[in-house]
Amino acid sequence: MKSSSPHLLKRSIASSTLAVIFIVAGCKRDDVNVYQVAKENSAPAPAPTPMATPSAMAAPVQNENSQPQLQFVLPTGWQQIAPSQMRVASFTVTNATGPVADVGVIPLPAGEDELALVNMWRDQMQLPALTNATTAETVSIGDAAAKLFEIASEKPLIDGKFRGRVLVAMLTRGATSWFFKLTGEDTFVGSQKENFLHFLKSVSFVENAPTAIAASPVAPTQNANTGGNSIWTLPADWQSVPPSSPMLFAEFSIVDNAGGKAGVNIAELSGEGGGLAPNVNRWRGQLGLPPIADILTRSFDVPGGKAQLVDFTGTNAKSGQPARLVAAIVPQNGQTWFYKLMGDEKVVAAQQAAFIKFIQSAKYPDAH
Amino acid sequence: MLTKKIARFFTSLRLTVVLLAFAIILVFIGTIAQVDEGLYNAQTRYFHQWMIFGLDLFGHKIPLILPGGYLIGTLLLTNLIFAHVYRFQLSVKKIGIQLAHSGVILLLVGQLATDMFAHESQIRFVEGETKSYAESSQDYELAFTTDVGTNTEQVVPIPQKMLARGGEIKNANLPFTIRVKSFWKNSAPSFRAPMTQNAPPTTTNGVAVNFDFSPTAEAKTMDDKNVPTALIEIEAGDYVPISLGDWIVSGWTADAGMIESVQQNYARMAGASLANQIVGKLTSPQSVFVGGKKFTFTLRPVRNYLPFTLTLLKATHTVYDGTDIPKDFRSRLQLKNSRTGDNREVEIFMNAPLRYAGLTFYQYQMNAGQMAQQAGMTPESVLQVVRNPSWLTPYLGCALVAAGLIVQFLFHLVGFMKKRRTQ
Repeated sequence: MKSSSPHLLKRSIASSTLAVIFIVAGCKRDDVNVYQVAKENSAPAPAPTPMATPSAMAAPVQNENSQPQLQFVLPTGWQQIAPSQMRVASFTVTNATGPVADVGVIPLPAGEDELALVNMWRDQMQLPALTNATTAETVSIGDAAAKLFEIASEKPLIDGKFRGRVLVAMLTRGATSWFFKLTGEDTFVGSQKENFLHFLKSVSFVENAPTAIAASPVAPTQNANTGGNSIWTLPADWQSVPPSSPMLFAEFSIVDNAGGKAGVNIAELSGEGGGLAPNVNRWRGQLGLPPIADILTRSFDVPGGKAQLVDFTGTNAKSGQPARLVAAIVPQNGQTWFYKLMGDEKVVAAQQAAFIKFIQSAKYPDAH
Repeated sequence: MLTKKIARFFTSLRLTVVLLAFAIILVFIGTIAQVDEGLYNAQTRYFHQWMIFGLDLFGHKIPLILPGGYLIGTLLLTNLIFAHVYRFQLSVKKIGIQLAHSGVILLLVGQLATDMFAHESQIRFVEGETKSYAESSQDYELAFTTDVGTNTEQVVPIPQKMLARGGEIKNANLPFTIRVKSFWKNSAPSFRAPMTQNAPPTTTNGVAVNFDFSPTAEAKTMDDKNVPTALIEIEAGDYVPISLGDWIVSGWTADAGMIESVQQNYARMAGASLANQIVGKLTSPQSVFVGGKKFTFTLRPVRNYLPFTLTLLKATHTVYDGTDIPKDFRSRLQLKNSRTGDNREVEIFMNAPLRYAGLTFYQYQMNAGQMAQQAGMTPESVLQVVRNPSWLTPYLGCALVAAGLIVQFLFHLVGFMKKRRTQ
């Protein structure tokens, strides 16, 4: 018993130490520590710098609403597709093995350094940047003389097997530079150069006249287009804008006299396009509304059949503002067209009749 | 019996020798591994681990199990403390050994404390800019900020490690669920230039409209860093989940150093004007509205807020005449602390750090002087901010070991001298 006390003390000290060491060493710092701070913009403003004030650099690349409409004649084998972001028109060129070249039309503010642009295309072809001015071929876009740049890759870029080639025609009209770009497999793009030059020659610009497009003498045939807008007769106060998503076929903006805004977008999907319920519930989600199982629709006549119409009011999930959505689903020749009018409640209410008339005016490309 | 066995095991000198042998092997392997894996990866893989399963050396996989740095350190410390406690004898003759052992214990405890509590971050600012936080140079967080009135915002930072684990992330302060669809530890941005883009974007929300991000190999060298990117889905709704869409969150959008490298890259390729437009699109804030509130979210370097502010008044970068060799990096700062009333100018330059509020501010990088002027840049300075509450322990530990050895040596010397005199 005499010797047990010091031993007990030693054991206690040793085991406590051991426990503390393992507990401390095993601690993890992987928590979410919520805190509150003063808003960043309430702090003294930093000095201007080329790098530290990104908001100052976020200049719009283009004024989307002031662009003229394009008219052109499509070469044989070219197919118009929904334009992706910042493009006003997109085409795919196919041969027997599938899509092998892509054509895009892009308007940008004029004034960019030509060498910088060429170097960007060279970068796409994985070629080193040039330091001196490059030479360009002179071609015609409509009646105007334009520059054509032709750049081919040295290494196989496509699927690691084929070399790439890009043809870019550049035309500056006023404050806008227009780029017509054909990209794809080296030899195929070379074989399409003649078609590309004919396409460029056929281009004409229709200044700020979206309503005039419908009255355009250009018939909506397979070989004549106006960026997709010839399918419908546009209401006078609708403005065509480049689609904000590659999923969209066309997009329009509406601004009323009081500054109220709404937008119309149109998507074309094969088959039933996912069906009624998923699409209606997707729209409801955009208004912050929960999905519903029993969907009630109204129907109205459209060329070749009937369309289903839904109408919801809620809060725009992106902007947090009250909003109304009127949407229509139109089956047509094995495809489904989705029309959506969404925006300020007053604007949507005022435009609903025009929206339905617009849908009824459609002359679909494949309609017989 | 069991306690005796445990005590015998932990007080064993053999254990000390075995652990020291493992420590030598680990230091060797960890040092060699830095060639292939880089400093931070090697540290994490070999030293900040309890156990190591399999090695990668010289491009070969070696199926070997080794104790990691944490296990070796913890067992060494336990071994030393047990030996000290069980064999402690309060006598003048042993005082040198006691002191030396105490010093070694202090070194080990200090290292553990440094690993636990030490923190390094950076402050990057241009002349005239005020900062009240430092940012991690390695770790990122997905920060959701929302206005809570009176000029204040609430920040919910989701650590990068939680994103890397994937799956669903919920937090009581966020009225939505974050679903991590993919996470890349290192990534590269590529501007979807209208003149070059062909493929559709990853998602049609936010930064993904203008930028593609792709996974890249993990950074290995000290000059590189991993910049993560994740594809997340935000889902709201009380009873029925409603998707607020897929969003790309990337460290490239909010890390000032990386944004600068993007700007310089595109400036070289396409000129400063276009580069600034491109960077503007990269750094545009992303947000969603839920329950009437706007939540802005950014994957940014982890922030450590300071209880004071620093304003960069002047950044000076001088070189030796006729050369590019740096002569002096110097930052003149205004320090303001509303709690203590401090409001003074301080100067930080090479080998002259500022020690304030438990932090040490070192001059780290500088983008000022003639070259910055020629590039039209506002002078910029980067400070390294170190918080290490146990920074004194190595000094004290070494002093104790040295004192212990000197005392022990003197005891032996005096004894030897006495013995020699009596002969």
